[in-house]
Amino acid sequence: MTYRVDPTFVDELKKYGHVNIEDCFNCGNCTAICPLSTSETPFPRKNIRQAQLGLRENLLESVDPWLCYYCGECTLTCPRQAEPAEAQMAMRRWLTAQYDWTGLARKFYTSKVWEIGAVFFLAAFIVVTFVLFHGPIVTDHVALNTFAPVHLVELGDYVMLVGLSFFLLSNIFRMYLFIVRSDKSLKIPFKLYITEAWQLLYNTVTQIRYAKCDEEEGQSFWEKTRWRNHLIIVSGYGLMFTLVVVFLRWFQTDNYYPIWHPQRWLGYYATIALLFGAGDAIIGRIKKDNEMHKYSHPSDWMFPILLLLTAFTGILLHTFRYLGLPLPTYYTYVIHLAILTPMLVLEVPFGKWAHLAYRPFAIYFEAIKEKAKVLQESQTTADAYAAAD
Amino acid sequence: MTNKRLHVDALVVGGGIAGMQTSLDLGDQGYQVALVEKTASIGGNMVQLSKVFPTLDCASCITTPKMSSVHHHDNIKLLTSSEVQKVTPHGDGFIAEVLLKPTYVNNDTCTGCQKCEEACPVDILDEYDYGFNARRAAYIPFPTAIPYTAVIDMDHCIFCGQCIKACPVPDCIDFNMQPEVIEIETSAIVISTGFKVTPYDAKEEYGAGKFRNVIDGLMMERLLAPTGPYGHVLRPSDGKLPDSIAYVQCAGSRDLTLGVPYCSRVCCMYAIKQAMLLAGALPMADITIYYMDIRTFGKQYEQFYQNAKAMGIEFVKAKVARITEVENQDLNVRVELIDENSQVVERHHDLVVLSVGMLPNYDPQAVFSIDIAEDKFVETPYYHNSPAATTRPGIFAAGTAAGPMDIVDTIVTAGSAAADVAAYIQSHNGHKAETAVETQTTVAERSVDHD
Repeated sequence: MTYRVDPTFVDELKKYGHVNIEDCFNCGNCTAICPLSTSETPFPRKNIRQAQLGLRENLLESVDPWLCYYCGECTLTCPRQAEPAEAQMAMRRWLTAQYDWTGLARKFYTSKVWEIGAVFFLAAFIVVTFVLFHGPIVTDHVALNTFAPVHLVELGDYVMLVGLSFFLLSNIFRMYLFIVRSDKSLKIPFKLYITEAWQLLYNTVTQIRYAKCDEEEGQSFWEKTRWRNHLIIVSGYGLMFTLVVVFLRWFQTDNYYPIWHPQRWLGYYATIALLFGAGDAIIGRIKKDNEMHKYSHPSDWMFPILLLLTAFTGILLHTFRYLGLPLPTYYTYVIHLAILTPMLVLEVPFGKWAHLAYRPFAIYFEAIKEKAKVLQESQTTADAYAAAD
Repeated sequence: MTNKRLHVDALVVGGGIAGMQTSLDLGDQGYQVALVEKTASIGGNMVQLSKVFPTLDCASCITTPKMSSVHHHDNIKLLTSSEVQKVTPHGDGFIAEVLLKPTYVNNDTCTGCQKCEEACPVDILDEYDYGFNARRAAYIPFPTAIPYTAVIDMDHCIFCGQCIKACPVPDCIDFNMQPEVIEIETSAIVISTGFKVTPYDAKEEYGAGKFRNVIDGLMMERLLAPTGPYGHVLRPSDGKLPDSIAYVQCAGSRDLTLGVPYCSRVCCMYAIKQAMLLAGALPMADITIYYMDIRTFGKQYEQFYQNAKAMGIEFVKAKVARITEVENQDLNVRVELIDENSQVVERHHDLVVLSVGMLPNYDPQAVFSIDIAEDKFVETPYYHNSPAATTRPGIFAAGTAAGPMDIVDTIVTAGSAAADVAAYIQSHNGHKAETAVETQTTVAERSVDHD
């Protein structure tokens, strides 16, 4: 096998985060201290070595950056202070940009102008759309569904859902090609794709690997603070997403419900979880009180800030509606959508959000590969015995 | 105030192997030397070692004759339990104020009979054996101490008076002994203040201090030494003969998290040496050395390493990331096996030795007005021309005060410091060594003035 060394690769990676891997002397402390690293998938040193040498293809085919959850043990104990955890983070951003065939993810990660410009462009698009096409403005009472007919908004929802799914799924397909299909010698029985599919749902829902990052702190759910907080955020996010996409006709309504009605308390739970999650991320990044938040790439701010603003305008919208203030309700609704839309369009296929898909898929692909390897090895052994007979 | 003044050619600060060698090299040339040692005995770190690499010679067989020579040398005035407090320029030379700390025992009359030690009811952990042994509050520092006289450890003394009753020499033990300051007028000064090791519990993930069977290299020296605490290599927690011993290299060096970016230059060789000695002491034990790089750069050092490999000592290229305690107070060592396809494994051992590195033992900036380098060791800016010269003319450095080095290099730098000092004295005040030899005046005879 031949390798092409590319010493300029580190400079490319530096655009994606605070990368300091030139200082690494490959002692392997990071890989050994990592609570998630195993003999089958040893990281982060392997990836760092690949990046030092500029082995672009090997890094592109690597699943390891997605298996790292940035507990920061490696960075804390690195004898060269080469920041291995941050290198893995930069690699995740780099990989997100590589999986994305449109090139937009690369633009958004490497240029603040592109990232912020895209947010404002999409926000302006939403505002202009409403200015031009809004429904009749009823001012004697709140009639949101007259101002913004729910079936049209729902149509917009579905258009966005299909579009974003297309981009995200095509990116996942490229990820699949890089990670699974790159190894031509490995034959993967189709059955494995089905039998391992549970990994996707199980890991998406539980994020169980994250729990291993907190093992030092304690064993109970409440002691594993980072996993616990992440679960809360995801539950809020997932719930809100379901409410506004699948149940929009039920969720966006002009009816007033009593407080115990699920339409209200489900929304409240999701909002609180989102505020908590986004707030936790922003406060952590301001205070830099743990390894994960020590370095913040511009893209790390965008997602939680948009999320926080979405939740905040959502609360305002809800308040105005219940106070019976028609015009503030309509304005806030437009602003709410003008923040929500760029948040989804930018982050889902091209940004930080994509890890929601890439992490479980990485675990899924890795499981398939490992099982296939075991099968292939046992087959080779069986063949050897058969030949000997 | 001071009422005594000593006139010498050179003041040597620190009585370890570097300071002793410098003093002897100068004294043998006829220069008058004052050797100031902080502790109660000269000898330094080397007296605690078992054997030296790469010859496996007995360390104390080299050290103790030198200690004795220093003590009995006509041209060397030995001041133990003393510290230089202040250095002021004086003509071409210096005047150093030296504090003689009270030992509460009269050095001149104490016979070293150990009666006070036997009588003392206080038992405390012995620093000489790194806590593997006990000593009394009235004690002789170690069996080959020079001077071989008792000292009273006032921090632990309970003033019971048993030692005074037991002492056969009248007025030898004196609880009212006061500190004394003397002045030493000298042409040149040599800093040979040596090293201390990086604290073995500095890396939390190694668990030293918490796990009893994680020790450091100097502790292992004591376990291996014929004069050691157990007379055998036993592990601290339960006195078991260890079956499987791990060495963790770079446990205190080349590690920015400890603020020690440099290589300590001795740990590879002392680990290999100890592994060889262990192979002799415990023929059935497995010995593994986990290393980042093996640096065997001295004369015959590489051969020493190859011999160790041939003896069956296992060398594993891996930086130990974490040590955890398991059943029976055994230990698991977690590493990435870099040469074996990056496997991440936990390997089981029943004794772990941390190869701790070297830190400077003393910061000379305030008292001696010389610079220290980035690594906190004494700056020697003319390393290629005059290796012992510091940033201040007339002050020189020898041994590990100037940087991490082994005993072989220490002897070399001690010799070079002596040569530098001699040249300095000759060029600055025209002193001829022959004069000192001819007049046969010893320090004690000629130069204690009473104002």
